[in-house]
Amino acid sequence: MHIRIESLTHIYARGTPAERVALRGITLEIGPGERVGISGPTGSGKSTLVQHIAGLLTPTSGRVLLDGVPAHARTPEARARRHQVGLAFQFPEAQMFELTVFREVAFGPRRRGLDADEIAARVRWALEMVGLDPDSFAERVPFALSGGEMRRVALAGILALKPRVLILDEPTAGLDPRGRAEVLARLRAWQAETGATLILVSHHLDEMAGLVDRVVLLANGQVVADGPTCQILGNCGGLRSVGLSPPPGVALLEALQAAGWPVRTDALDIEDVISEIARCFLPTKTQRHEV
Amino acid sequence: MNLLLPGMYFASDTALHRLDPRVKMGAALVLMALPFAARHPLGHLLVVGLVGAAVILSRAPWRALLGTLRTVFWLGLFMFFFYFFTTPGRPLITLGRVTITLEGLLAGGLQVYRLCLLAVVAALLTYTTSPLQLTHGLEAMLSPLARLGFPVRELGMVLTIALRFVPTFFEEMETLTRAQKARGVDLDSGAPWQRIRNTVPILVPLFLSAIRRAEELAVAMDARGFRSHPNRTRLYRLTLSRADGIAALIVLACSVAGMVIR
Repeated sequence: MHIRIESLTHIYARGTPAERVALRGITLEIGPGERVGISGPTGSGKSTLVQHIAGLLTPTSGRVLLDGVPAHARTPEARARRHQVGLAFQFPEAQMFELTVFREVAFGPRRRGLDADEIAARVRWALEMVGLDPDSFAERVPFALSGGEMRRVALAGILALKPRVLILDEPTAGLDPRGRAEVLARLRAWQAETGATLILVSHHLDEMAGLVDRVVLLANGQVVADGPTCQILGNCGGLRSVGLSPPPGVALLEALQAAGWPVRTDALDIEDVISEIARCFLPTKTQRHEV
Repeated sequence: MNLLLPGMYFASDTALHRLDPRVKMGAALVLMALPFAARHPLGHLLVVGLVGAAVILSRAPWRALLGTLRTVFWLGLFMFFFYFFTTPGRPLITLGRVTITLEGLLAGGLQVYRLCLLAVVAALLTYTTSPLQLTHGLEAMLSPLARLGFPVRELGMVLTIALRFVPTFFEEMETLTRAQKARGVDLDSGAPWQRIRNTVPILVPLFLSAIRRAEELAVAMDARGFRSHPNRTRLYRLTLSRADGIAALIVLACSVAGMVIR
């Protein structure tokens, strides 16, 4: 699905003392199958922006078009488009209410009016997708699971809707490092299998490195940077100026560069960082051997 | 999400904000009772004038006040039609078996006016009085009951906590509504029975989190050594100023006048 955002402005509680401008004239285009990361400091408008893409908010001005149809419109075409957008809110496990994992994951598909066989197949598929064994988890009580498992059940509930656009708002917030890595790996596998659009909202830039090809930086409700992941994450000064800390690997390379080493800083993951360091250090080592 | 809610406090420094909470609560009670006690149109005019003056003094945004009226909209509509159709009197129009009377129209209007005034006065009180001051004032007003063994302090604490969490609760409900909408819950269409069922995915998580929050708060209070101490003293004590006296006199004079005019 093609997402087009045209000078979108959103103001909360307009005309009251609590009035707050969340988005100021955002223009953005996201093509089908793109993997995009949206980052920015707290209060920069990330969550508001993605809720607009899911058609949950009405723009104060401007518009959001899903394949050319306004996302929040109350027409059948708009509803059909919205059904193809899956949005996992922050702490999605807070929305769980059913008594078994199966019913929880089946809730969305059931609301779409699918038949029982299709629902059962989707629940199995979604639970496998998030790395939970359907046979042992389906009949368990969601509230008795661990935090990481609850998060994955909640994400399975979104995946079971088979969205063509999946938006995740801070999917790893509050998880331990292992749970974090697990969720990210599962998302990568899901995206590779379905080829759907993935929009990842996070202020952990290192998580984005292996998962998205493009990063959009928001600050104060405006787009301040938009480009390939390595370009945005490698620009330490740019990240710091909007109040984000660069990924640790990039920060290390930056420090080396500042110390006079001829390293590049646009390394994405730990392997890139290692090879970049190796490229600069190893020749000197061999030279020393030759001498 | 910075929603605007009825019952929210707006920090400011107007004459109304500075009044003693006891005076404000007393005045609010009188102003709420007066539309029911007044008999003559002049009396009602006095009440409306007084509330209007308070609205202007509070510098409360009119949008916010209109928003509070929305909360009593359905009740108001129901009351209006209830009186509209059931009050006997001079018939205006007869539609089949239903007769609309002039008295019905007036009685219905009177109910709506009373309801609106109740809502506006209650909203003004919460807009201009911080939750802490409200409970402080309530405790002060109920303090005679403490001698009879009534747990006034505890009631005050419960009330403070309840008021503190009203906006949080609404915010959470708003988020949950959107989250379940994203999963296909349609709250705006369907048969009435279906609409009621559609609130389950919102209400269950809402109450779960409220209970969890209450437990956490109890533990946190306990961990900081909170206990209900009868001799606890306060950092800020309520003192009546000249403005409080003047305000009390004005409200008192108006209420007496409002009731006396027949």
